[in-house]
Amino acid sequence: MKTVLILVCLILPLSASTALAGFFESLANPESKEWKIITGATQVLSSTQEIDYPTERNIGESLALEGLQRFGNPVANEQLQKYVNLVGSAVAANSTRATIPYQFAVLDSQVQNAFAVPGGVIFVSRALVDILESEAELAAVLAHEIGHVSAKHALKSTRRAQFFQGVGTITAANLKGDTGKQFASAINDMQGVLFDKGLDKEMEFEADLAAMEAAYRTGYDPSAMIRVLEKLQKLEATSREKKGSWFSTHPPLDERIARLQTQLRHYPDFAAQASVKERFAKYGRVK
Amino acid sequence: MRKHRTYLVIFVLLLSVVTAIAAETRWVSSEGTTLKAESSAASETIADVAVGSEVTVIESGGRWLKVRTASGKEGWLFAGRVSETQPAAEVSGGDGGIFGNSMKSSQISTAKADSGRSIRGLSPGAAQYAKNRGTPELYKKSLDVVLARKVTPKELKTFLKEGKIGEYAQGEGGKK
Ligand SMILES: [Zn+2]
Repeated sequence: MKTVLILVCLILPLSASTALAGFFESLANPESKEWKIITGATQVLSSTQEIDYPTERNIGESLALEGLQRFGNPVANEQLQKYVNLVGSAVAANSTRATIPYQFAVLDSQVQNAFAVPGGVIFVSRALVDILESEAELAAVLAHEIGHVSAKHALKSTRRAQFFQGVGTITAANLKGDTGKQFASAINDMQGVLFDKGLDKEMEFEADLAAMEAAYRTGYDPSAMIRVLEKLQKLEATSREKKGSWFSTHPPLDERIARLQTQLRHYPDFAAQASVKERFAKYGRVK
Repeated sequence: MRKHRTYLVIFVLLLSVVTAIAAETRWVSSEGTTLKAESSAASETIADVAVGSEVTVIESGGRWLKVRTASGKEGWLFAGRVSETQPAAEVSGGDGGIFGNSMKSSQISTAKADSGRSIRGLSPGAAQYAKNRGTPELYKKSLDVVLARKVTPKELKTFLKEGKIGEYAQGEGGKK
């Protein structure tokens, strides 16, 4: 009886403390499940899982066509476009959705903005690239957009989600006629969300956290995301053109910066990660 | 009493071993992951490991992990390439994307990626949308060019290496 008591006395606090230690250790590890649950970075499956990839791609490319008309064509600089695709592919490979193809392009737009359409096409404006100073900063912006694609934020935000689910796979054939009209109307609704209204605030924070995580996993300094937002903050004060920019479609910058600064504590060795300023200066400049 | 203490020690030891094993499973979460002979990207490649593969961590050294794969191969992985949660399988109706159906076989993915992305030009639905909307030809062509750009795993590796990024970082191969 005495030994049983000793056993209980010894093991209970022991196992409890190891469990606790394990929990805190996990929290210190940015790749841990516990930490991800707390930061909300885990991918939650939703009703959008019923939309298959070819359909998602059809929706995304249709939106991309509208985006080009709205913000301008890609900058005619093949070296820059290739460079942006390399940086984007690097972080995409370490994102929570690494198995779909991603394409990136710099658009000839004077508004600081970046946006992603469902399926993996990501655009960034030349005005936004212009204020960046390192590859890590470009990686942060692209990884934020990848975060939206990974979590299917645009698809979750449309009021026409029911239409997409009801129609099943979107094909060229069923876009002839009435379904085509409904599809166009749904694309129009999503344009409003992506280009004017902006996504839900929490989705933006989620994309910010996902960006830091993917950048860090790749080996880029995750604090670059904060530096990008600080640059935008300086610009916001003097910028006249706010419509359709990251200022108007995203939550207040000070709030995003504050959340990211808290997040940065999970990457104690962040400063030792790559910034890559020289290569950015060589290939990342819009000419 | 001494006997009991011995049992207790054994029990506690067993308990910690069991907990350790349970906590040390990881899943490969990044495309293009290779198992290395040492904790350095410059070391010999033992095998390609596909996204979703389960590995057991044997040892940890900075940002590198010594692991054992399901097929019993032992080697080192860059910690940024694994996750504590199993990545969700992508249901992609036939189009595996740049790296192909990585969940099935890394060999297929490598072959597919080498031959380039299977998506070329606008998706049929988007092309029909453009037709319905009368989207100017200029924008269709622009998007075509965007969609045709590809980055092969080999190009990506060279790019990371040249930038000394992640597993290719200087000083003990990214060990920080
Ligand atoms: Zn965003």
